[in-house]
Amino acid sequence: MGRIRKDPNLILLTALLGAALLLPLAIRSNQYALVLLTTILLYGVLATAWNIIGGLAGQLDLAAGAYLGLGAFTTGTLLIRWNVSPWLGMILGGLVAVGFALIVGYPLFRFGVKEVWYALSSAALVEVLRVTFLIWSQVGGPVERYLPYHEWSLYHLRFATYLPFFYIMLGMLVLALLVNHWIRQSRLGYYLMALGENEEAAEVLGVNTQSCKLEALAIYAFIVGVTGGIYACMYGFIHPNFFSGPMSTEVAILGIVGGLGVTYGPVMAAILLVSVRELLRAQLGGQLEGLYLVVYSVVLILIALFRPQGLGPLVRQAYGRLLSRVAKE
Amino acid sequence: MTDTLLQNLINGALTGCIYALIALGLSLIFGVMNVVNFAHGDFVMLSMYLTFWIGLWAGVDAVFTPLLTFPALFLIGLLAYYALINRTLRQRYVTQIAVTVGLMTFLRALTQLIWKAQPRALPYSLIQGNIQIGPYTILASRLVSAAASVLAILGVYFFLSRTWAGRAIRAASDDLDAASLVGVPYRQTYALAFGLGSALTAIAGGLLMTFQQVDPTMGVRFGLLSWCVLAMAGLGSIPGLLISGIIVGAAEAVGMSLWDPRARSLIVYLLFILVLWLRPRGLFGRK
Repeated sequence: MGRIRKDPNLILLTALLGAALLLPLAIRSNQYALVLLTTILLYGVLATAWNIIGGLAGQLDLAAGAYLGLGAFTTGTLLIRWNVSPWLGMILGGLVAVGFALIVGYPLFRFGVKEVWYALSSAALVEVLRVTFLIWSQVGGPVERYLPYHEWSLYHLRFATYLPFFYIMLGMLVLALLVNHWIRQSRLGYYLMALGENEEAAEVLGVNTQSCKLEALAIYAFIVGVTGGIYACMYGFIHPNFFSGPMSTEVAILGIVGGLGVTYGPVMAAILLVSVRELLRAQLGGQLEGLYLVVYSVVLILIALFRPQGLGPLVRQAYGRLLSRVAKE
Repeated sequence: MTDTLLQNLINGALTGCIYALIALGLSLIFGVMNVVNFAHGDFVMLSMYLTFWIGLWAGVDAVFTPLLTFPALFLIGLLAYYALINRTLRQRYVTQIAVTVGLMTFLRALTQLIWKAQPRALPYSLIQGNIQIGPYTILASRLVSAAASVLAILGVYFFLSRTWAGRAIRAASDDLDAASLVGVPYRQTYALAFGLGSALTAIAGGLLMTFQQVDPTMGVRFGLLSWCVLAMAGLGSIPGLLISGIIVGAAEAVGMSLWDPRARSLIVYLLFILVLWLRPRGLFGRK
């Protein structure tokens, strides 16, 4: 009981993880449900990674699609051209994303590009990469490049079912959460939170804000880049539209809605919002194009207006109340 | 070769005047109340659709639709301000962004719902034909649009410098506390700035529809474009906005003609990132 009081989140997360592990058993043959769940996990991973740069360090990054695309293209191209296993490819993809993030991030932070301007320049990067890969016909180009088909190949990370991708993505999510948790308790985490609150004050106290932000950006880019590699294998092709502006914005929105800096907030936001969006699409999409997005955007606006701290604290309160009631009884 | 380049430069510079007008609206909103409005480009898109709709049903030429869409967009702007923006003024800027991204998605989805996803264009405009100057051909609609944009920008300039309401807007943007002390009602001033900023997109939308088509995804392009013009100009300089708009329009056109038509946005965004790195205050910025 004492342990539970110390860290109720751990128990909750373990229970959720256990439930998630068993979930495919319930829907074993339903590929649509599997894709839906894997998509939720995918957004969960991206938003959790975003939480490092966006939530802790307070930099509104809108370039998740850039790192995702770089990871996907590195992994996909290596597999298509040289038959390099995606297991290696995704690590390299993550490193390419990190390299790009450092090249772009260094001058951005060096010249003090902040707040809305950081957000906009990162949004512009996604579009720059998309168009570059569209024009760069040796690697990208306007036609999808398909990854080789395999019924079940662990080496090629290609399967005829989405089931393995569900578990791989779940693994990524656990990894991303652990990294988040670890950073929060490390010195870097405290520095990031300090500069996220007030950058000048943190600088005065001797925090090297530039290098802290770069570190946060690199960790975020690596996780998203690796996820991009998995993304490419899951969908079986690569295309410049992977550098997606709307997707990048959505990742940031999930992070904001989940509660900035709350480790498990983005996952909850992903579970809630992505499933709402997909259910609305399934229910309304057939009748009226765009209707589901109207409803979805209204939900988004209402949450942002009336829950500006995000959903994370709300759930924490409810869970705390539940725990104390259990403890009383 | 130089002829094609110059031809493109002229076209781009003319379109750039409209960009400047759009960015002026954004500058009113961001400069005065420091609200990060991600939905501005989608107001342009909405104006274009309204122009299309009015043009089609009432048979009004796109040049004259701003007479109707300007008040309409002003009201929509007021509505957006009082329903959404007003509540986010004291929030962190990320909340503002979340709300305006929601508004952006809403507007895009709504237009898609009403007008479907395919591109729409008006059949003709009063101002047609070309004007031949030496070896260069200038589309009359582009020339008129550029002239009208410059006129509208001048109008806003006089409004801001000569009228009480305009001065109130500038005062609120300079120092809100001092302005409040001398009796500027800041909520109304903010609402006015937001309404006017949105209404300016109506003029731009009407002008754009004389030579362009519209589709629901266009908002993002105009949004980033106007932020780019604003970043280059910096806050507080209306002539700077015009020059930056022309630079952006020209850069777009040159990129398309010299490199690749698809590189259009690439040039603009690279320029944007470069400006942020090297001149975070903009080329003509005051603050």
